[in-house]
Amino acid sequence: MDISTGATVKSHCVGTTAIVYASDYLNKLTGEKIERECRRQLDSGCRALVIDFADTQLVNSIGISILLGIIDIAEKSGAKVVFADVNNQTIQLFEMLGLTRHVALARNEQEAISTLSGFNSTPTLH
Amino acid sequence: MSAADFNNRVLARVPRHDFVGRGDELDRIVKHANAQNGRGLLLLMTPSAGCSELLRQAYDQLFNQQSDVIPLYYAFTRHETTAVSAAIEFLQTVLQQYLAFRRKEPALCRAPITLEDVLELAPSSDLEWIEPLVKMYERIRFSNDNKALVRFCLGAPQRIPVRSGKAFVMFDGAQLADDLNGSVVLGAELLRVFGRSGQSFVLAGLRRQILDSARAAESNFELLDLFRLEQLSSEEAHSLVDHVALRSKVVLSREVRDLLVQQFDGSPFFITNFLQAARDRNIALNTYLDCERLYVDELLGGHINHHFTNLLEEMAPHIDKRVRLIRVMWEAAMSDEKSASVEGWRRRLEVEPAEFENTLHQLHIQEFVNWMGATVDATTGSQTWKDYLRAAYRLAIKADPRALVVAETITDSLKRAPNTMARHYKQSDRIDLRPVMGTFDCQRVPAVLFDYRAFSKTYKGMDEVELQSQIASEANLVKLPQTVHVASCYAFDSASRKAYEEERCVVAHAFEDGIYTDAQQTVWLVADLESKLEVDLDLAKSWFDRLDSLARQNDFQRYRIWLISNEGFDEPASDLLRQHEAFCSSKRQLEILIQQIGATLAVQPAPVEAADEFLMVVPMGEENELLAASAVEQIARRLTFPPQAINQIKTAIVEACINASEHSHSPDRKIYQRFRVESDKLVVTISSRGIVPTNVGSNNAHLSKQESSDAAAEERRGWGLKLIRSLMDEVEFQRVDEGTSLRMTKYLRTS
Repeated sequence: MDISTGATVKSHCVGTTAIVYASDYLNKLTGEKIERECRRQLDSGCRALVIDFADTQLVNSIGISILLGIIDIAEKSGAKVVFADVNNQTIQLFEMLGLTRHVALARNEQEAISTLSGFNSTPTLH
Repeated sequence: MSAADFNNRVLARVPRHDFVGRGDELDRIVKHANAQNGRGLLLLMTPSAGCSELLRQAYDQLFNQQSDVIPLYYAFTRHETTAVSAAIEFLQTVLQQYLAFRRKEPALCRAPITLEDVLELAPSSDLEWIEPLVKMYERIRFSNDNKALVRFCLGAPQRIPVRSGKAFVMFDGAQLADDLNGSVVLGAELLRVFGRSGQSFVLAGLRRQILDSARAAESNFELLDLFRLEQLSSEEAHSLVDHVALRSKVVLSREVRDLLVQQFDGSPFFITNFLQAARDRNIALNTYLDCERLYVDELLGGHINHHFTNLLEEMAPHIDKRVRLIRVMWEAAMSDEKSASVEGWRRRLEVEPAEFENTLHQLHIQEFVNWMGATVDATTGSQTWKDYLRAAYRLAIKADPRALVVAETITDSLKRAPNTMARHYKQSDRIDLRPVMGTFDCQRVPAVLFDYRAFSKTYKGMDEVELQSQIASEANLVKLPQTVHVASCYAFDSASRKAYEEERCVVAHAFEDGIYTDAQQTVWLVADLESKLEVDLDLAKSWFDRLDSLARQNDFQRYRIWLISNEGFDEPASDLLRQHEAFCSSKRQLEILIQQIGATLAVQPAPVEAADEFLMVVPMGEENELLAASAVEQIARRLTFPPQAINQIKTAIVEACINASEHSHSPDRKIYQRFRVESDKLVVTISSRGIVPTNVGSNNAHLSKQESSDAAAEERRGWGLKLIRSLMDEVEFQRVDEGTSLRMTKYLRTS
């Protein structure tokens, strides 16, 4: 397993959607880096976040708690969050801890962006 | 004497290599002896810190050195009843040890010889001063002038001719010198004689007594060096336990070793006596239960009992008075009031003022109480003393059945043991605020270090190198005050002492800009809060109010409240503190501040020995849980677990490792893992030393999957255990004296 420690989180923008790439192991350290990158993207004006878990093989509970924090932050900023390319084992953990109630899952990045387009075209109900 | 004899034992009771924990102190005494600058060294001993073996080791080193320093060691004992008899004994010892040194015959130090024998054995070159000395002694002895006789005897080392060398006298147990009957107060007298002799010497004894004697003798403190002998540090005490246990052939576990060190607060006297008792009774000390059973035996009838009982008998020879003394002391120790009136004590003890004052003085010397003029504080004293006093009170005053006292003292000690260790581990794991605050000296540091939200926004998740670089370039700086005094909060508010831990809540008196005026005077009230998550509003408010109230009670005119917590403060808590102009920081900010101001951190606990069979030992942190996960992956593949189950096991192990790292305050910072492969299952045991987490009860029923959902993982950090229980088939916390041992099983068939 290639352990990611201290490397910068990769990301790029598609319109107002930021795609942020999680590393192979999601823990406190890498989770905080993702959180920092997400905050930066939101501060830069992004209105949606896609966190791509294609490389993620293992997650721990602290990493998951940080993801929940990111969802809170995005919610406060009025931004949507989609998790893309999450493997089955990780989905199982997200379900166990109730994360999937707060976030949409997509098979891959493209599907995530499409999902977000759908959100954006839906008028907000008050 | 050949070079090989250099480490010959003369007076020492243990070989030099087994004498541990007092290396610096030994060097200091030997250096003092060799300097021979005519100064006295007052060795101020904390009660039960033990200095006799230290002096005997110093004696042996000087004896074996065979330089021009002639070592002379004299210990006051309880067997001597008068100052005159002690002085005569001293004279005899001086001559005997002088001859042993001159003849290079260590055995002569211990031989039962008379003054006539001394004259027989003395080399002819020494007879010219020994013979007149003995004759003069015989004359003065029958002169009825006790003071002259005492002075003559104490002056014997000065009669040693310079050509033979320079006498270096070490007095041990000096506190006993002043208890001797007669017209001469020996402790003060020997300080007068030696203070004027121009010879170097050591006077060792209880610190309060020695200082009293020095003042009584009107000693010139410019010619005296003071050296404080405290209890051993944890590391030194561990080493002592290991050495004594090995020497005494007592089997003991690491857990018991660590408990002994904490329970006896690093006292060499109690540790050594306790292990000797284990040897005498042929008891192995494998568990806390073994340890506490023996402790209670010792407390109620062994060496420890003998020690305290002797002291009380000296203070109160008559049984009635002793019983009253025990009652008064125990009730005062248990009182909510820290201080009691001396007059109240005297009335309750029903003794004459002079006798009462003497008793109180002795209690003060032994540090069973703090006597300050009209008040006396009996809440002081070691835990061992309090345990003894409590048992004595129950037996002598309440007349409780002995069996009940024994049983309840064992059960109480057992219940206390994990708390004792937990407190120690927490202390070892946390930053002691006292030295940090004591280092404040007008340094300029980034203001962001005192504002958690600002720090979090800018620096959280940032690479360490970048963080250090940006912190270094912070332009918004604050100037720290100059601290002049730091003390624990409870020293200012004894009524709330239970709320404050000594090193985690401090009050620092300081001056802004180091300018000593009323306008610049300020007080910092600092608390390190325990919380695994960001501190919330309620906790922040309760601590702010507590410190604010403390400041008002003590009439602090200008003060600053600074709260610190491991993970910082949530937004509402930060807002509240900002409104009140209080500072708040995370542990990370504190660490950076410490780097910036160069404060000294507490010593990290030393690692212990490696693991045994089938045990994989992984240091905590550094993502080392991944190593454990990789290892279990290989093992699980051999058992042909499907990939999904392997991932579940890996995740469970990662969580168990994180749990151990986060919650245990582990002393060795290691995670012990055992993987056992059986035909239909894989059993993984993850253990760590340290504190038993509060969410781990002895009742394993709490861990069933059915009930686990109730826990609901209120706190996100509580998710680890929930995940483990969901991912593995069986989860069980095994009973251990300290820390945790989590046993997880995954069955092949359930995959």
